[in-house]
Amino acid sequence: MNKQVPKNKVITWLFNPFHYLAGGKALVIGLIIIAISGVIAWFSNSHFDGVLDFHTGRQAPIWFIVAEGFVDWLSLALVLLIAGIIISRTRFRVIDIFGTQALARFPTIFMALIALLPGYNTLINKIIANPMNAATIIFENIGALIILMLVGIVILIMLVWMVALMYRAFAVSFNVSGGKAIVSFIIGLIIAEVLSKIAIILAIKSISA
Amino acid sequence: MEQELEKRMPIQCPSCSRVLEVARLVCPSCQTAVEGNFPLSVLTNLSQEDQEFILEFVKSSGSLKDMAKNYGISYPTIRNRLDAVIEKLKSFEVENK
Repeated sequence: MNKQVPKNKVITWLFNPFHYLAGGKALVIGLIIIAISGVIAWFSNSHFDGVLDFHTGRQAPIWFIVAEGFVDWLSLALVLLIAGIIISRTRFRVIDIFGTQALARFPTIFMALIALLPGYNTLINKIIANPMNAATIIFENIGALIILMLVGIVILIMLVWMVALMYRAFAVSFNVSGGKAIVSFIIGLIIAEVLSKIAIILAIKSISA
Repeated sequence: MEQELEKRMPIQCPSCSRVLEVARLVCPSCQTAVEGNFPLSVLTNLSQEDQEFILEFVKSSGSLKDMAKNYGISYPTIRNRLDAVIEKLKSFEVENK
């Protein structure tokens, strides 16, 4: 029986794991990954303070950093659910959109890990303490420059990979494709980014008060 | 040893691309032949893979969840495959009208 197996399973797992995994299983795995990413990020004072954001430097309780990841996931899943209801012509399961969007965040683990690179946190803290001399701080030490570039490149690659996964999750969950799907996804991503930022900033303000 | 060739039933006319019809049926046992014009089911317009997919769908009692398990893929992927087959069947029905 021909089951239309993808030509390259490894490539499929990396760029479209939703071909194999969706629904409740994807949700459980995705939420565990979001929690683990948050815990790892805490060790480097890093935050997933927006759907597409990753910043280092501000201390916060571990539960808050973990919660940020969940806010990011929920913001995008809810917005894309609305987008999917509008543009999709097929039946879909809500659990698939939430599950696949959670799983799509797995590159955040690598972002959190790379921020643990020795010297990176020290460098960021120096820059935050003395932002006017950031250029001097970075260029006075070639090692610092290399670390910053390496972390920046890895995070950028992980971010691009994550957005690609988020789009695939959206496309598979609602069976949409083409220009309409891409435009809806981009608009949804921007709205979710704004919503997640607002939610996190309000949360920071209420904690600081 | 000669290997048996896998034959696929042609469904489109190689000359004008219209859907073919069955004109002659033969009993392989006694060679009795029946001639006439028998239109093919719309299902025969589908590819071999799609026909196998439909067979599996029926054998799974229409359970996409069971099919996803049998195929080793996710539920939305199987559902999207079904949607694609439905779209093809609809387009064949429109063409045949």
